[in-house]
Amino acid sequence: MFRRWSVRFGTLFRRDRRERELDAELRYHLDMLIEQHVLQGMAPDAARREALRVFGTLEGVKDEVRDHWLSRFVEMAAQDVRYGARSLRRNKGFALTVIVTMALGIGANTAIFSVVNGVLLRPLPYRDSDKLVVLHHGEGDAVNNDMGFSVKDLDDYRRGRSFSDIVEFHNMFFNLLGRGEPERVSTGVVSANYFDVLGVRPLHGRTFVAPDDAAGAPAVLVLGHKYWERSFGGDPNIVGQVFRMNDKPHTVVGVLPPAPQYPLDVDVYMPSSACPFRSSKQTVESRQGRMLTAFARVQADVTLEKSRADLAIAAAQLAKEYPADYPQSGFRAIEIPLKEELTRNFRPTLWILLGTAGFVLLIVCASIANLLLARMVRREREISVRAALGATRARLLRQLLTESLLLAVTGGLLGLVLSAFTLKLLTTFTERFTARAHEITIDLNVLFFTLAVSVVTGLVFGSIPGLSRRLDMAPALREGGRSSHASQRLRSVLIVAQVSASFMLLIAAGLTLRSLMNVQSLNPGFRTENLLTLRADMSFDRIPLTTPPREARARRSAYWTEFEERLKALPGVISVGGGGTFPLNDQNPFPNGFEREFHPALPGTPPPQIAFRLATADYFAALGQPLVAGRAFAATDSVDAPSVGIINQSAARHFWGTDNPVGSRIRGRSNLGGRPDDNWTTIVGVVADVRQQLDRPPLDEVYVPVRQSPFFGTTWIVHSRLTIEDATRQIKAAAREHDPELPVTNFRTLAEVRSTALAPRRVVVALIGSFGLLALVITAAGIAGVIAFSVNQRTQEFGIRMALGAGRSRVLGLVVREGLALVTVGLGIGMAGALALTKLMGAVIFDPPMPPIAGIPGPQPLALLVNGTPPTDALTYVGVAAMLVVVAVIACLMPASRAASVDPMVALRAQ
Amino acid sequence: MAPKSDLLQGTLDLLILRTLSGEPMHGWGISQRIQQVSKDVLQVNQGSLYPALHRLEQQGLIEAEWGSSENNRQAKFYQLTRDGRKQLAEETRNWERLAGAVGRVLAGL
Repeated sequence: MFRRWSVRFGTLFRRDRRERELDAELRYHLDMLIEQHVLQGMAPDAARREALRVFGTLEGVKDEVRDHWLSRFVEMAAQDVRYGARSLRRNKGFALTVIVTMALGIGANTAIFSVVNGVLLRPLPYRDSDKLVVLHHGEGDAVNNDMGFSVKDLDDYRRGRSFSDIVEFHNMFFNLLGRGEPERVSTGVVSANYFDVLGVRPLHGRTFVAPDDAAGAPAVLVLGHKYWERSFGGDPNIVGQVFRMNDKPHTVVGVLPPAPQYPLDVDVYMPSSACPFRSSKQTVESRQGRMLTAFARVQADVTLEKSRADLAIAAAQLAKEYPADYPQSGFRAIEIPLKEELTRNFRPTLWILLGTAGFVLLIVCASIANLLLARMVRREREISVRAALGATRARLLRQLLTESLLLAVTGGLLGLVLSAFTLKLLTTFTERFTARAHEITIDLNVLFFTLAVSVVTGLVFGSIPGLSRRLDMAPALREGGRSSHASQRLRSVLIVAQVSASFMLLIAAGLTLRSLMNVQSLNPGFRTENLLTLRADMSFDRIPLTTPPREARARRSAYWTEFEERLKALPGVISVGGGGTFPLNDQNPFPNGFEREFHPALPGTPPPQIAFRLATADYFAALGQPLVAGRAFAATDSVDAPSVGIINQSAARHFWGTDNPVGSRIRGRSNLGGRPDDNWTTIVGVVADVRQQLDRPPLDEVYVPVRQSPFFGTTWIVHSRLTIEDATRQIKAAAREHDPELPVTNFRTLAEVRSTALAPRRVVVALIGSFGLLALVITAAGIAGVIAFSVNQRTQEFGIRMALGAGRSRVLGLVVREGLALVTVGLGIGMAGALALTKLMGAVIFDPPMPPIAGIPGPQPLALLVNGTPPTDALTYVGVAAMLVVVAVIACLMPASRAASVDPMVALRAQ
Repeated sequence: MAPKSDLLQGTLDLLILRTLSGEPMHGWGISQRIQQVSKDVLQVNQGSLYPALHRLEQQGLIEAEWGSSENNRQAKFYQLTRDGRKQLAEETRNWERLAGAVGRVLAGL
């Protein structure tokens, strides 16, 4: 076996010996032949001549033998590469143009693919991650109506056989005390098995063990890697340190490795027993206290289908067993692979980006093929000579393909380098959509993708001109040989293809840009100038959890009222509004069921849904949200006064129609049809609508006074004449004076919030837009090239025309018309394609919005084409078409002016 | 290079393998033997013989060794490998089947 391979590959090496042996072998044969002739009686000279006649030339036989050596193939390839490189070096301009064009196309594709790879293709960095699923349960489409899980829900689902374990997660903000300034930390409250089920090992210390989760166990914390580095400078001695949180000592037991955290990047983790809410009696015992997200690991030997079926059965049993706690119609539970869940909202955007990048590559391909075609014509003579000297058609084709591949791979590698520069930007962009953003790198997959795409691209653009031309001696050495009509037609077809593809790309760019402009110019319904927002979170230990609810409410109310007064008293402050959140805050308020007095919902139908929000008396004034009927809240709407509320116009229109809502009463009502709330709220006013998200219509809202429903966490809006820095400093001082352990965080101006809210859209627009521009430039260069070439071919014709009296402008027009004819055909095809494509794109983009994972504000998929920009927007179509025509005319003018300045005498004499 | 049909090339390969099935031989010997056994009906063109030999060697069906010839000159001797023997048996069967079939068709007409 070894011998056999050594024979086979031996031809690759020891070339001289091989050649010597071949020579000796053939010479022996020749000698024997001569000897034979001599024996038959020929004179030695004659015998030799005769032998050579029979034998043919020694070299010819040798060459045929060499064809069967493996080394032959490699040798020819090396020769082709050498020859190709030499010929490209001689045409630096051509080579550079192709390589740069290629690099841009490959760079765009590699960049987008690295995102696809990091976010969609790579397995999650968890053990057996394809067995990890996220659970949802709710009415109808359980994913979009997920009601979250209660502790009791999970206890029951855990009894199923198909999961090896279920873990819970919910996100809370707590104040971490014990190190100077109070720090507000995002906390993941999890079951003790959380890290084991995901398969995450600690970097320092340990993760949680079962006893940590027992009721009354000493509170422990595990730090997230980023928080640990940011706040503790990566000090490994942090393990064992004690901090105060929620009025209890919490000991740090471990630090996580830098792996990405799902479902949310939190600062610290605590076991469920340490969370005052999660461990409270109400939460543990109420089947309806649904605040949890649940993941599960499917047993190794159970398929996803089987576990899905088991889960559905378990849900049906629960609904039957506890009719008061589950919707009685259409309730179901489903599981979704974790990997899929994490990227649900990003996928449509990503596919569109990949598609547009693909279009760029197609245009690049067509453009380079065109350049090669032009070059082929110039090389006709060279190719004819090589064919005449015995190069076979296959050999010539191989030579041409080698050159194309050389260009493609060089361009591809350059593109890879270019794409590396975009990674940071893309990661920041992706962060807004999925927790996997930080997994975007250039790994082996990406390298392989780049190489494969480069090679395929090279083969495609290399074989278009190669196959189009008859690589033989037909046009051989013909003096003044002109390119055949077939070649010119092919070049026109390529230009038409480029124009139509560019048109489609530019339409996509134009539509997304138009819709961004629409959203940007949209009146959100509130003021964004000179408004500073901030969060203030009262420590839970300010009011012990054992305090009777009524008293606790009164104390919280007083706490926030005093804080509000302090802010108002600051010099330069015009007004101060407080609430639970502020517009554009990414937080989706949970809609609640409600009932209007004297208008009960029909039995068996779910109650109408309305979003509950908090507001202080001055909230609307500070935000500039006008009151359209009734009154605003007043100081008299205190804890002990009758409950009041203010609805927005949208709710008034939907639920009151022509009735006057002011003076009517509503009360909360569970979606499950249980007993309604006893406490009626009187509607005292109606405010104008604001957009909570710029690209969604306003929600139906009801505001209730902060004084009557004081929460622990609040958001404040300060309208002032101060600079941000001054305001921030003064507010912090006021807060410290109010309560040294009150953290005030997230200082942002509303203008900034508004601009950030549009950032992902802007990046998408910028990406598609730059792809479009790239396409435009490449196409313009292509048009200029083709027209220049055709002008070259028609020099004599122009000379004759001018000799016969055609003016300069007439020749100009002639050339430009030729270019515009191509562009017009391209525009027609592009328009049809764009209409079809945007229809498809629309279908992808208008997927129903995804809900947040219970309690976690979910990223929204980009609705790229909303807000009054229909996919058939005439202005965009006309604008893009006009732009292409103008660019094409400019591209034609350069060669056209050359045509017009042809000296008739010179042109005719050249004949 | 004159085009050769598959049949011709395959047949030449078969003849070479069969000729080598006895003892190792050099190229000249092979061509002489084929001519002699076929009573001058088959004349092997050197331009085809050597490429065929090198191809068979690359395919691992025959292997070569330098040795002394009858007239005490260095010559390259070829012999069958195990794969070559297998190939010979198979090709012989194929050939016989084909020849038999052609014979039957001719007889039938």
